[in-house]
Amino acid sequence: MSITRRSFIKTLALNSAAAAAATLFPGISFGAWKNVDQSSGAMQWKKTPCRFCGTGCGLLVGVAGERAVAVKGDPNCTVNKGLCCVKGYHSVQILYGKDRVTKALVRKNGKLVETPLNEALDLVASKMQETIKNHGKDSVAMYGSGQWSITDGYVSSKLFKGCIGTNNLEANARLCMASAVTGFLTSFGLDEPMGCYDDMDHADVFITWGNNMAEMHPVLFSRMLANRKTKGHVKIIDFATRTTRTSQAADKSILFRPQTDLAVANAICYEIFRNDWVNWNFVNKHVSFHKGKTNIGYGTEDHFKFQDKAETVDLETYKTFLEDYTPEKVEKISGVSAEDIRYLASLYGDPDKKVTSFWCMGMNQHTRGTWINNLVYNCHLLVGKISTPGNSPFSLTGQPSACGTVREVGTLTHKLPHGVVMKEGARKMAAKIWDVPVENIDPKPTYHTVEMFRALDRGDIRFMWIQVTNPMVTMPNLNRYRNGAEKEGRFVVVSEIYPTPTYDVADVVLPSALWIEREGFFGNSERRTQHNEQIIPMPGDCMSNTWQIIEVARRMGYKKQFPWPEETYIEDSWNEYIQFHDSPKHRMAPYNDLKARSGIQWPFVDGMETKWRYNAKYDPAAEGDDFDFYGKPDRRAWIWLRPYEPAAESPDSEYPFWLNTGRILEHWHTGSMTRRVPILHRAAPESYVEINPDDASRMGITNGMKVKVSSRRGSVVMKASINGRGRPPMGMVFVPFFDESYLINEVTLDAFCPISKQPDYKKCAVKLERV
Amino acid sequence: MMENSEQKMGKVFLVFAGICIVVLPLIVFSAFSFESDEGETVVVKTGGDDFDQSGEAIFINYDQLSREYLAGTSTGRTLSDYYDRRQYPGSPPYIPHKVEEADLAQVECLACHARGGWSEELKMHTPITPHPEQTACRQCHIEQTDAKLFVDIDWMSVTTPRLGRSDLPGAPPPIPHELQMRGNCIACHVGPGTVAAIRVEHPSRGNCRQCHVAETNAGLFSRNN
Repeated sequence: MSITRRSFIKTLALNSAAAAAATLFPGISFGAWKNVDQSSGAMQWKKTPCRFCGTGCGLLVGVAGERAVAVKGDPNCTVNKGLCCVKGYHSVQILYGKDRVTKALVRKNGKLVETPLNEALDLVASKMQETIKNHGKDSVAMYGSGQWSITDGYVSSKLFKGCIGTNNLEANARLCMASAVTGFLTSFGLDEPMGCYDDMDHADVFITWGNNMAEMHPVLFSRMLANRKTKGHVKIIDFATRTTRTSQAADKSILFRPQTDLAVANAICYEIFRNDWVNWNFVNKHVSFHKGKTNIGYGTEDHFKFQDKAETVDLETYKTFLEDYTPEKVEKISGVSAEDIRYLASLYGDPDKKVTSFWCMGMNQHTRGTWINNLVYNCHLLVGKISTPGNSPFSLTGQPSACGTVREVGTLTHKLPHGVVMKEGARKMAAKIWDVPVENIDPKPTYHTVEMFRALDRGDIRFMWIQVTNPMVTMPNLNRYRNGAEKEGRFVVVSEIYPTPTYDVADVVLPSALWIEREGFFGNSERRTQHNEQIIPMPGDCMSNTWQIIEVARRMGYKKQFPWPEETYIEDSWNEYIQFHDSPKHRMAPYNDLKARSGIQWPFVDGMETKWRYNAKYDPAAEGDDFDFYGKPDRRAWIWLRPYEPAAESPDSEYPFWLNTGRILEHWHTGSMTRRVPILHRAAPESYVEINPDDASRMGITNGMKVKVSSRRGSVVMKASINGRGRPPMGMVFVPFFDESYLINEVTLDAFCPISKQPDYKKCAVKLERV
Repeated sequence: MMENSEQKMGKVFLVFAGICIVVLPLIVFSAFSFESDEGETVVVKTGGDDFDQSGEAIFINYDQLSREYLAGTSTGRTLSDYYDRRQYPGSPPYIPHKVEEADLAQVECLACHARGGWSEELKMHTPITPHPEQTACRQCHIEQTDAKLFVDIDWMSVTTPRLGRSDLPGAPPPIPHELQMRGNCIACHVGPGTVAAIRVEHPSRGNCRQCHVAETNAGLFSRNN
């Protein structure tokens, strides 16, 4: 029997068929798409950071004519080395939803009506001036986003803080990264991670704290898996409140009761002392001990105020404090066995293992978010596992520029691009760079995000401009804030790309250019600044958010502060902005370098990126021969005594379940972009409530059955998901928030961390009913 | 006693005819069915994205393929199926079958898609991934429901590469697609799980890039004066 002959006969037939097809129909399209150009498959590849999460993958976008037609991973970008996730690969499709907003809209007789763009911009400027005249400068506000390009945030800070003179500037990163920021500031005195993604190639142990990386940071998760596969001995421990794809891929999954991560972190430190795993050289030289206020509240009432006060204590006080957190005691609080607590401690304690901890929303969206950030730093500091390759407490970000735009530019009420408004030096620096009188900059912070929307509801704020975010889906206790936005005498401007529930409450909608339709910058989780050029033209009357703000500022009479020509305003505003960070602690890369490379990490000093901060071997700002925590006046990292305190609302007999909310792999935040991508929408067309199988069978709930989820604030009826991709333990349900048809945030609670003011979307009490 | 030559010829002819009757159907039958050896390939971990970085693994992989696998032609998969699962040439295809969530986030997909083989459930040969070193498969490949679109989309992409385009008559065609994550030619162009129209007619030759070179958008050569 002849193989050659057999295959020859068959391939001959197939080849001639294919050849015939190719001859008859040159350029025949088999695909699920229309062809942009019949004549050729030629494309040009252009670099950009991904539009979605804080990982900051480098993409290469295939461009044919004036259309983005394909995506591949940028092999030159060290973040992802050529790999993307399913959202990244299909990201260019977000540009082409048929209901794209391309014209300005103004509400007339209750209806949004197409209006010439100049007229809409005139209206925004005059309405803002009129509101200031009638109600004072603190009656107008800007609410931006961690998806803002860096220059969008920079010009808004200049307009609101420098020109108008109000600190009513906030961004949705308050809802996602504020606890990470206050965690960094209280422990190290400076924001953003000491380490970088290279830690993933060096670590021996990974511990994910309430962090479903397999779905939320898939590319980093793959990098972690690749390290485990190459080295063999690497362990991944998933420490979480429900079982997820991350737990399934981990070597060990440890579940804890919501909020009790505080107790477990302290128990780990207790065990580190008990076994004398403390790195005494490091601790004696580089660490100091502090305690703050306790019983600090939850911020659920209007005008809530809190100011923490640090008190320096000695090592013995800290050790005494930890005695309340023996593994046996904490087992009772947390449901984590004493044995598992000791196991976790042994991983941090083993001097031969490099440990990287990852976390994101699980620790940040937490009414003690600042505390749990501090406590995980404690675990690393006691054993000196920090600021060296592979030893890294690493706070991941959820948005592409939460770091770049919100944290570095400082688009928060208390912040300036460098320093805080309360400090005279910071105000003077800003006034000089901005060319405004220093008296313009108000030394008093006004409202953080939740309080800003409360002020809109109360009428203290009358005008709000919202860009690149969808608060009418994402605000906790949503009913109150939507009702507030819709009240008589409120004027809401929304810069948008698609109709959303936030668009629905707008008085003016401005059409925005999206991502690669304009030039811009993002800043990712690992201090990497990433530039993208304008790759394709803007549709219709769309305009970059930066340029919208400049147009309005000029109409308000601030021509002198916004002099840049339309051809170069991104480069010009970048060059002005980076004057704020001109020191070895935070120097940013020059425009031309950013344009040429796939992202550059700051501090960028003498042409070199800084991969590990606070370590003199890698960080040009660090003095001495090893570590130098120069962010704090005592040049030490601060260990904090932070106790376990319960959640703002816990299950009881009337509302017996914890409600946990979050994202899924396919959808980005509220889905306003990803739901318009066919493959992503068809994979996850609607939201659902995940229920533990035992709870479900006890209540007679089967998969797909409609269930009512209600709290003291609101309710949603949606389908049950049992044994789906995520499995909550008994007594917990989980709901993804991407679906505007099931507004789970009408159910959540607007309690927040009193230090960071970041709300807790992971814990409130609900009941379930069959409908 | 001697048989005459005619009788001798007759006997030989009879034996030959007998052999033909028994063996010919076997040959014909085997040409249209698959054999067990055809089904499986051996996967060697590749280190990088491309042939140039992971050439050794690709060659080891190739060496371990059975001759039957190389010649396998049993698939019913068409180029139209292939592109229907993609949003543009080179996009990660969706998963066209059910996946139990009880399966792990990784590894389980590779049980079939790393080595290939026959799926009794789907009555098909499984196609093989060109990047088995990536184990979190569902980071990029996702299942689909038949849900209606949220809103319609005005999506276009480029023409799919034309088959068999050579620069000269009879010359080997250049590689018309991106090679990133798709540098292992054998995975998609050889074996019973591949798309018939893009299967090579000379599967026993393993050094594909000796003749097939990547195509770029570069113009013709010109000297810098």
